Amino acid sequence: MERPPQAEPVGVARPAAGFWAEAWHRFRRMPLAMTALAFVGFLAAVAILAPAIAGTKPVICRYKGRLYAPCLAYYHRDWEPVIFATDKFRGEYPRNLAEKDPASWAVWPLVFQDPYRAVRADEWPGRPANPARDAGRPSRRNLFGTNQSGVDVFAKMVHGTLVALLVGFVSMGIAASIGIAVGALAGYFGGWVDAVVSRTTEVVMCVPTLVLILALLAIVEKPTIWKMMAVLGLTGWTGISRLMRAEFLRLKSAEFVAAAGAVGAGPGRIILRHILPNALAPVMVPITFGIAAAILTESGLSFLGFGQPPPAASWGSLLNDARSNLRMWWLVAFPGTAIFLTVLAFNLVGEGLQKATDPRLREARK
Amino acid sequence: MIRHLVRRLALGLVTLVSISFLIYGLIRAIPGTPLTVVVSQTDPSRRLNPADLERMKAAYGLDKPWHQAYFVWLGNVARGDLGRSISRKAPVAQLIGERVGPTLALSAGSLLLTWLLSIPLGLYAAARSGRPDERAIGLVLYMLYSVPTFVAALALQVTFSIWAEGTPWELPLFGMTSGRAHATTAAWLGDVARHAILPLFCLTYVSLAWYSRFINTNLQEVLRQDYIRTARAKGCGPLRVLVHHAFRNTLIPLVTLLGLSLPALLGGSVIIEQIFTWPGMGRLFFESLRERDYPTIMGLTLMFSVLTLAGQLLADILYAWVDPRVSVE
Repeated sequence: MERPPQAEPVGVARPAAGFWAEAWHRFRRMPLAMTALAFVGFLAAVAILAPAIAGTKPVICRYKGRLYAPCLAYYHRDWEPVIFATDKFRGEYPRNLAEKDPASWAVWPLVFQDPYRAVRADEWPGRPANPARDAGRPSRRNLFGTNQSGVDVFAKMVHGTLVALLVGFVSMGIAASIGIAVGALAGYFGGWVDAVVSRTTEVVMCVPTLVLILALLAIVEKPTIWKMMAVLGLTGWTGISRLMRAEFLRLKSAEFVAAAGAVGAGPGRIILRHILPNALAPVMVPITFGIAAAILTESGLSFLGFGQPPPAASWGSLLNDARSNLRMWWLVAFPGTAIFLTVLAFNLVGEGLQKATDPRLREARK
Repeated sequence: MIRHLVRRLALGLVTLVSISFLIYGLIRAIPGTPLTVVVSQTDPSRRLNPADLERMKAAYGLDKPWHQAYFVWLGNVARGDLGRSISRKAPVAQLIGERVGPTLALSAGSLLLTWLLSIPLGLYAAARSGRPDERAIGLVLYMLYSVPTFVAALALQVTFSIWAEGTPWELPLFGMTSGRAHATTAAWLGDVARHAILPLFCLTYVSLAWYSRFINTNLQEVLRQDYIRTARAKGCGPLRVLVHHAFRNTLIPLVTLLGLSLPALLGGSVIIEQIFTWPGMGRLFFESLRERDYPTIMGLTLMFSVLTLAGQLLADILYAWVDPRVSVE
């Protein structure tokens, strides 16, 4: 009571910063959650470094006196240096580099295999072509085997990691933005805003998710992963919005909100600066679980044949290949394990986050 | 109570109309119509000539803009007519009726198995909370929960239909029966049961993991209550405390779950039914979406939505019924 008034903002800001530091401190002491987080980090590294792990284009090469990084083509087709197109490499680097510039050198990816096509005979001097049909069991050259058209499963999986993670993060990012915005508005303003939002949420919730997703995907006709993310984002926000609305309803009558209003803060400032930071912790958990769910849905849709068309590298599409020939067990085992571990990791991180941020569980622990 | 129910029903009706309007608009926006998609798939030479196409469009009401066609459909539904399937040439209600049985066989079986197994599992986990065996069970269940059903289904198919081929362990790959004529009903039932093992397992393991965790968490919460301490203090044995005092109170949230599982009971699972070509509702939905069979998609969506809303209402009513502290209002 006797504290000088200017000390107040400092006192308000500090516990907000301390909350996440404290949560991180608790999170770090959970070995399972930390292992899962490390695995997510590993996946992110694989996703980003995919062209350096498996590919048929050099990571870095010196050609006709200049340095190039043709592997960038795996991120975006237009990023392949133009000189290799004008010199008619046609994607076959090892032989062309040696023939067209004997003084050239190159740093190759760890595994010389392509995620989009089968490696041909002698493409790498002295190496046979990839086995096609059902002959491509896992071997020294094809660690995880090959699919029916002879494309290396390991390369497909390494490059598919980026797809899986992007789908998880981007679609949940879209869903979280919609859910937080809509839920915050409904909870704060109440009245007709709340009525409209709640009805809409209920409508979207009552339509079976798969019905909505399949219908939306059928409308966009040629699904790319970006359209898939948009569809998953547009259908997955309802849970977050409900939770956010409840948090806002709870917090808007809190004393610090009344204080902010008394000082003259407008609704925008109160929502963004005062309530939102305090309401964010509970929605972080469903967001993490949502990432797992989005990865699961994407691979499920690709598995059903609703994903990106064939040459695309998605874990689910490998499982779809397996359906036409179940004798190729490696098309089930490796992508299946990858999807399982990824979903498990995100679920464990979510669980850890829940334990670390939920004050009720924290007290129960003691 | 009655007033509340009437209000809920009226709101539910509004929700239903909005859902069906939304879905009708969506499916009419999908490229291709039931007439063009099905015919071009079967045989390109048998494609309809333009005059016939127009005639058929008019016959099925596809010549009208979708918002007009929607109200025609809505009017028919209000009169109890779900319409006729365009690609299957049969009333939608009859199609749904044919598919309910197989779906119910799977989902009711799975629900029953889940309850029978998850309650003892949850009780066991709560009784041995924190011990190594409980942690091991918990971890296994948690991992099971993260196994995608389609991965599990494929792995089971590879194991039991391909690797176990010719052994007594071999199980049928897909379908509901092997298609042969059966001498007795018992033989037919046995055949269906053999076909149902794999899909039933896939449907059960996820919900088993979820339910037993749910029961365990609720039990843990109840076990911290004062009246449990009182029961222990008067000298109740641990088993009696767990079953008689604690478990009965965890039944309240369980009962609401029963209501919420209503849509899954009749709605079926698209992915599992698709993998095992089980002739149920999920597969019907998947096929009718591919055939752009508007009346069937609408009929199924309407059914799913009604079930979801009814399930929520049922959950609330059950909750008020089992817990005197809660009223439906």
